[in-house]
Amino acid sequence: MGITIDALKCTNCMACEMACSYHRDDGFAFLSACIVAYRAREKQDYFGVMLKEEENLVVARPEGLEISRIGEEQDPDKEADASAKPMLLREGCDLCEDMDDYGPMCVAFCPQDAITLVD
Amino acid sequence: MSLRLLCLNCAGPLMTTTKVISKIGIYAGGGTSHSWLWFVDLFENKGLHTLAFLNENDVQKGLDDLDVLVISGGDTFAVAEALGPSGADSIGKFVHRGGLYIGSCAGAYLPMKSSKKPLDLFNFVDVKITNLSKILPATVKESLKFCTSYGCDFIFHPVREEISMKSSNSVLPFCPLTFTAPLYGGPGMTVTDPSLVLATYHEFTTHTSFLVSEALAGEILLEKAAVVRVPMGKGLFYLFGPHLEHPKYPLANQFVSDIIRWETKPLECPESPASFSHREITPLKELSGKKKKTFVMDIKRELSNSRIVAVNLEFLPIRWMIGKKVYEPEKVRVFLESMWSRIKSLERIDRLRVFSGDLETIRAVSIKVTQGLRRLKRAVDDNQDSLGEATKIFSWLQQLSMAFYTMYFFTLTHKDNQPPPSV
Amino acid sequence: MEYLSTEKILIIDLASSAVEEEELEESLVSEKIGGIGITKYLYEKFENDDPIVIGCGLLTGTTYPASASGVITAKSPATGKLAHCPITYKVGVEIKFSGFDYIVIKGSAATPSYLWIHDGVADICDAADIWGKDVWESTEFLRELVGDDLLQTIMIGPAGEKQSDYAQVCYNHWNSPDRFGFGKAFGTKNLKGVAFRGMGLIECADVEDYVSRSLEILKEVKANDFLSKQGIAELASAIGEENLTDWLAPITHRHSADYFTPYATITALFMDEDPKIVEETKVAEPGILTSDIYALIALKKAGFSAEDAGRLLRETAKYGIDPLAVVELSGKTSLDDCTAAFDGLSGSLALKGKGIFSSWCPARPIFNDFGLSGDDAEAIAWWERRQAVAGIFGIQPLFALMCPELSEENMLELASLGTEIDLDQDLLDAVVAYVCD
Repeated sequence: MGITIDALKCTNCMACEMACSYHRDDGFAFLSACIVAYRAREKQDYFGVMLKEEENLVVARPEGLEISRIGEEQDPDKEADASAKPMLLREGCDLCEDMDDYGPMCVAFCPQDAITLVD
Repeated sequence: MSLRLLCLNCAGPLMTTTKVISKIGIYAGGGTSHSWLWFVDLFENKGLHTLAFLNENDVQKGLDDLDVLVISGGDTFAVAEALGPSGADSIGKFVHRGGLYIGSCAGAYLPMKSSKKPLDLFNFVDVKITNLSKILPATVKESLKFCTSYGCDFIFHPVREEISMKSSNSVLPFCPLTFTAPLYGGPGMTVTDPSLVLATYHEFTTHTSFLVSEALAGEILLEKAAVVRVPMGKGLFYLFGPHLEHPKYPLANQFVSDIIRWETKPLECPESPASFSHREITPLKELSGKKKKTFVMDIKRELSNSRIVAVNLEFLPIRWMIGKKVYEPEKVRVFLESMWSRIKSLERIDRLRVFSGDLETIRAVSIKVTQGLRRLKRAVDDNQDSLGEATKIFSWLQQLSMAFYTMYFFTLTHKDNQPPPSV
Repeated sequence: MEYLSTEKILIIDLASSAVEEEELEESLVSEKIGGIGITKYLYEKFENDDPIVIGCGLLTGTTYPASASGVITAKSPATGKLAHCPITYKVGVEIKFSGFDYIVIKGSAATPSYLWIHDGVADICDAADIWGKDVWESTEFLRELVGDDLLQTIMIGPAGEKQSDYAQVCYNHWNSPDRFGFGKAFGTKNLKGVAFRGMGLIECADVEDYVSRSLEILKEVKANDFLSKQGIAELASAIGEENLTDWLAPITHRHSADYFTPYATITALFMDEDPKIVEETKVAEPGILTSDIYALIALKKAGFSAEDAGRLLRETAKYGIDPLAVVELSGKTSLDDCTAAFDGLSGSLALKGKGIFSSWCPARPIFNDFGLSGDDAEAIAWWERRQAVAGIFGIQPLFALMCPELSEENMLELASLGTEIDLDQDLLDAVVAYVCD
């Protein structure tokens, strides 16, 4: 089971970010969400969604999905360090495993159904 | 320097009739990662507030006024390099005269006997590492390099994340029967004397992440020592393979605080309040009223400014190699969030106690961090080299954190900021 | 006021550079609820100082659908009356998370200044580097200065600096619902703008039930079929105005939404890039984002091509001037003539109802009839009430006109649930009457 995101359906409303943060923080905030509405290119009207999973970073761009491994160094001179301590600031997506009533919160709260749970 | 001691009501299951004051030094100097901040949280939560924050120079000058020295995770070789012969000598003398050394992960590897330079400066504890090999085993996760060179050999990491431990010793009456904690590169250990082993790696959990086959991981770790207690002179080395200080493992945290209370000898409690610092003393200032409010607002302003930039850096595809370790932008926020989470406490209290040297450091370095981060972001946006800036920023963050926490815990331990005694 | 709140009111005196905080008392919320109920109260409290009051709705920034908006309350230089302008895009939500529910700005600065509000810190900063710059340059300058691409701004351009009656406050780069000349109100205070950024956490009483009910309400909203539509052109058609769809289609890029707003009310028009482009454009300024139905309608009626309409909107957004005022009051029908007329406008735009709420918003239901008969007077009364309720709770004002599923009843229900204060219909009626007076 995993999350898939259709960035062309997304309207950049940040509902996913708020819903995920509620799952983490039991209040309303944005800072600890593992799913983030990318909105740093407002003038270019370029937006999408980024999802941090346990081992992958999923970037849902309008032109397609991009998945990269977290901690993996492309540069052979740089070591990816298996002893690296986790930052604990944004934990990887756990599909809201403890929230049986809703399933993943981002899926439940997306007004555009741009985020779905797939096998 | 004569020591005057603070009286604290220490919370926790080991309440004694005499007041126990443990002067704890946390090493935050060269080679450390951010896991020493987990010890800060642990000690604060457990009422162990007499803390000093040490860089390598502080350790080298001597540890006479400490009861406990804590070295957490990072790059063991870099820690050893930073501490050098005089740092190693200080640690040796400290433990010999009765000090308690707690080493977690890299801090556990540091005092183990080794022929590898510069670890051979330490050579205090005769403990064998079980995850050390001349030949690397096959990995199940091909894309992660899971080893570090160790002279001609390799330290490899069979698992990451949570692992379950079982106590194996009745020396300490409070050792939990089973508990979990995460492993991020710490050692499996063997010792010749089984009475030195307090807990062994017992079993893997559903949260354990395997970097080699489960069978091989079991061979390397299970039934091997996870926590050892090794006397030297009048003192002790406690070596933790996993991070017992990790904030999500309360049972392991309690174990750490119980160790300190158990092993630290009770001292007389004088009547007058006092100050404690391991570092060079500059005049102590007490800020209250408008001056205190302004100073706290100044810290808050810069931490906020820095955090805002740091959040922007988080998802950028950039990392820096500083020394032998890879640093991610997220790590900047770890330091900032740790301090930020304490701002509200500082806003609420009436009096702030800070050494004037630390006051200046906090003011100046917090601004440097903000400005440095802004320059860093511009460099990254312009596709320019940012390694130099990043190196400075991480150094400033360590410096700022140490000064901040010195102030924070001094303030916390001021009698006016103490909670009233419970009836 | 522990819940759904930052607990703080910021009072800034630009003349003396004094920055003070007051606690947001629960008693005030029990009496005036939030949003424009409280901004009006604060305006009256500090009326002698001619304040501009910026605030958030009680539900702003939560999981209640469309809880997107903030508000600016001030005396309108255009009408002379107290008026309320919604703060849309992501700016409204950022205000609450930057540490203050309400911001009272009194007095005038001696030299051009801007406010930098971040994480409960309020700094009055020298605007020398941005005074004279247009809105886009100013927002970008501050974003680069602060190192934050997500900094949100309320900003004036040259129109506000020159204290034009038609000066508009803009949000980040975009025209706003300001038809009141609030840009002039800022300019007369030597206030270039306000920048917000914050990473706060808003506590909620009974948060599990609040979130659960929010989701139930969202599901009801999603069942309404108007959500199959998107963008500004559909809104124009829905209110029986000009068909903008075919006119705008050749330059329409994508549609986006305010915070948590199920209908995408923002349309991106690309005049200088292929609007079909999916990947990130290399063009620095490909077009404009807009929610201004009436400005577009006026431009179409005036015979503008869609491209020139977009370009004029871009110029008005940069200049910080009301595009509807430019088109309707200049009488010009070309891009260059309209642009040249920015500083020479005279006359006034028609108000809707009592002129308290922005005529940027259609004064009638959109997509759904809300059970109204079609009578104009009834529609205006309904509209003013609906805008008042949206302003009190912080609901996106256009979406409030579309969605009967966002009822006063469930807004009160969630407000009471989230704050543990008993907020009932009688109270809401009283506050609506107060703000509409």
